[in-house]
Amino acid sequence: MTDPRIRASIRYPNDLTVPGMWHARLVRSPHASARVISIDTSFVPEAVLVLTPSDVEPLGRYGCQISDQYVLAGVARHVGDPVVAVAAADEATAREAANLIEVSYEKLPAIFDERDALRADAPLVHDSHAVSDSDSAYFGLRPLADTNVCHRFRIRTADLPQGEPYTADPESDDHAEGFDAAQVIVDETFRMPAVQHVAMEPHACIASWHDGKLEVTTGTQTPFNMRQDLAGLFGLPDTDVRIICPPMGGSFGAKTFVRTEAIAAALAQHLDRPVRLALDRDEEFVTLTRHAATVRIRLGATRDGRFVAKRIWCWVNTGAYADCGPGVAMKMGYAGVGPYRFDHVAVDSYCIYTNLPPAGAFRGYGAAQSVWASERVTDLMAAEVGIDPVELRRQNLLVDGDVFCTGETMHDVHFEELLEDAARAVDWQPGGDNRGKGVAVMLKGMQTPSKAEVGIRRLDDGHYEVLSGTTEMGQGSAKAIAQLAADLLGVDADQVEVPPPDTDRVPYDTRTTSSRSTHMMGRALETAVEDLKNSGSDYGHGRIANDGGLDVDTGQGIASSHWHQGAAAAAVEVDDETGVLTLRSVHASSYAGRVVNRAAAELQQEGSMIMAIGTTLFEELTFDQGQVVGPNLSDYNIPSALDCAAVSQTILEIEGAEVHGLGETALPPVPPAIGNALATLGFRPTELPLTPERVLGCAEGPS
Amino acid sequence: MTWMAPRTVTEAVELKAEHPDATLVAGGTFVGILTRQGLLASDDWISLQNVRELRELSTSSDLALGAMVTHRRIELDPDIAAGWPGVRSVFAVVASPRVRNAATIGGVLGDADYASDPPAMLVALDAWVEALSVRGLRRIPVADLILGHYQTSLEEDELITRVLVPRGRYHVTYRKLRTRSREDRPSVAVAASFHDGRVSVVVGAVADRPQVFPDLCATWVPGDGASAREIATGYADRIQPISDNRGSATYRTRMIAVEVRRALDTLTPAVLTPPAART
Repeated sequence: MTDPRIRASIRYPNDLTVPGMWHARLVRSPHASARVISIDTSFVPEAVLVLTPSDVEPLGRYGCQISDQYVLAGVARHVGDPVVAVAAADEATAREAANLIEVSYEKLPAIFDERDALRADAPLVHDSHAVSDSDSAYFGLRPLADTNVCHRFRIRTADLPQGEPYTADPESDDHAEGFDAAQVIVDETFRMPAVQHVAMEPHACIASWHDGKLEVTTGTQTPFNMRQDLAGLFGLPDTDVRIICPPMGGSFGAKTFVRTEAIAAALAQHLDRPVRLALDRDEEFVTLTRHAATVRIRLGATRDGRFVAKRIWCWVNTGAYADCGPGVAMKMGYAGVGPYRFDHVAVDSYCIYTNLPPAGAFRGYGAAQSVWASERVTDLMAAEVGIDPVELRRQNLLVDGDVFCTGETMHDVHFEELLEDAARAVDWQPGGDNRGKGVAVMLKGMQTPSKAEVGIRRLDDGHYEVLSGTTEMGQGSAKAIAQLAADLLGVDADQVEVPPPDTDRVPYDTRTTSSRSTHMMGRALETAVEDLKNSGSDYGHGRIANDGGLDVDTGQGIASSHWHQGAAAAAVEVDDETGVLTLRSVHASSYAGRVVNRAAAELQQEGSMIMAIGTTLFEELTFDQGQVVGPNLSDYNIPSALDCAAVSQTILEIEGAEVHGLGETALPPVPPAIGNALATLGFRPTELPLTPERVLGCAEGPS
Repeated sequence: MTWMAPRTVTEAVELKAEHPDATLVAGGTFVGILTRQGLLASDDWISLQNVRELRELSTSSDLALGAMVTHRRIELDPDIAAGWPGVRSVFAVVASPRVRNAATIGGVLGDADYASDPPAMLVALDAWVEALSVRGLRRIPVADLILGHYQTSLEEDELITRVLVPRGRYHVTYRKLRTRSREDRPSVAVAASFHDGRVSVVVGAVADRPQVFPDLCATWVPGDGASAREIATGYADRIQPISDNRGSATYRTRMIAVEVRRALDTLTPAVLTPPAART
């Protein structure tokens, strides 16, 4: 059977139409911070619906972790914030109407840099921080009143002072407890900029109302969170909102939580007819980005290379709305510790509002930013103590039975094998000349706690239908679920159908994120098939729940019910005169447990590495007074086929082991592997991407 | 909106005379992007896709390329590779095969986009265009065609019908410094051609139009590293580069000095031996 993607037979959200639907367009703020004073619609034709902030204000605010966003912004908090929505019978009329609307603004002070936003005199992006009652606010939210901090996360291992007051001021927060036994200390600050997901398909949805019930067809990784958040906004019971998720043309985290759906739903409600809202490419750049972050790490070790203590500060730029930034800040905090043993760990991670476009989920979720910093610091330590970087890591890596900084005991860990495999791929010479080569190793958590349910129905023709909330965004989840179900049922995979999620038909699932779905759905399917066999009916129901979670004030608890484990190695050359960095080899090694579909697993690995190459070498959103410079795919480059020739990967599989997700594992270790390789050639990279200009700027000069 | 699709050159120039504000569409890789982004809106369009004559390609004397010859054809034509290696080398490194299959030589010159590869090389090779209107035919050196950002010396009723490149330019080099993706446009481009005892060094993608300084070029001593270095420094001093996503002005100034020197060093005496004298 030919892949339906190749036959062009998939209907993506952006392809869909329904009879009688109208088309929406948005008027967006040209200012980073401004109050809407008046809206002149006198040139707009009569047959166009115009919604203004005051029309939607009664709906109140929404937000998956902090309720900080109105459906349309009466106070615009970033360039591109939607302030007016229009709908018309055809798209051209809607576009023209949007252009004819004159909005006047009172400009307000704006702030862009995450550390500037912590200063006492910084303008506040939001006056108050209301914690969301959504299921997505699944851990203790700790906004700091009267600051731009919407959440802070802290780790303190048991013997460190606990409960000291919070200071969001980076300069005064410098305590060094736990470093007494450290004979060598390295301390460096790193930065990773915002980038765009650049899914091939932009956001697109169709909203309609039927007898007071809301139906939204949209590309989303979070159908049940979407249902709950829209139900909250429109004052409906969850069951009066139906979310249908056709396969997406890519997402990478961009299609999570409520994006444009609330606006489409409000327009459809006013019109009492279906409304389609599909974004243009330039609008994608102001819809969601990856968190820019500054990460400072202090690492202490004994002279012989035993890690003693680690202190981490993360300043996470979540832009104008929190979205899931608090969760990102938490994961950034513990991923920066890395898969190592320490006597003491202290982490402070701050999720900070600025007047930039909102940042949210992005493949590598928080880990990418802090692993860049922490694995560069590991190499700085290796140079300082004069120990081979692979050997230094090997001496300190967590093994089964070790305790992570969160207090949880590690099991099924394979960091050493992964590191050695990656090093071998670049012909690493233990203790020898490894100029131009670098390695990195990392851990990344899975969504914890989380739950998954799945239904399985025997059809009349002997086929089976799996009812699952796992969404398809190109990662091949439907195929993997069909395969898992077929194996459990003892039938061929083509006898199993996996229709796209529809919240009216499929049972609850937390969401399709954090590389959790193959693992969680696989386990839920086991119980569903068991139930089918035992129930004697045509339907079996499976349910699985992972408990856990971290105390956000101490960082103690269960960070992840299992760990995504990965290593990478790189070999590079640099043109000293131009600063152009050439990748000779980039290799990622990831732990998969049991592999369900090898081809799909390898594609996930390669896809992660390709995104990592963009992040490492040239992807960066630049802003001018908060406005994205060049929001198009000519000015903003992503990797092309020619940029990926050096990529290779291995998947560590253990027969009979648990299934581990692979959607992101190969992304976070790649930037530091390349950065570490560059550092061996006389450079000290701290900031990504490593453009030629930045490479020349970090040259250490002749020593 | 009207979409006009003439079948002959005569018809095309007549339409352009009648509709001087009409936007010409060749391969569509440039106007397509601008239109999608809302940066270009036009009531009238003249597509040259159906004008067969504009696809003619001749290598029998000077290289004559119809305006609608695609980058990809130039890249793959064995006679162009043998007789005009500079032309081949520059068209082969534009963007990706997908773009090269659509983009045309007339289009890339008519756009006058500072970041395109071909203009610098075509200036270095003393190429010229034929511009046709109902009033007649003009020959315009490429060096005089591009005036600034998206500005050409074409009259509003004229269209580029052919691009001509003289024979015998074997000693050429094209250096494309990319700072981001391998499919990106150049941050700094240097085309150098040595012919008849004279070198022409043209720097592209750094300013509003290709940059060439004949007085500096005239000082070149082939094979002399110091001479190359001096010319390179001179180019870096005289050019006021722009800043964009592909590099700051400061970086570009530094790179002009590096890349001009490297281009001249590539044209070493061994390479400068005429092909006929090679064994």
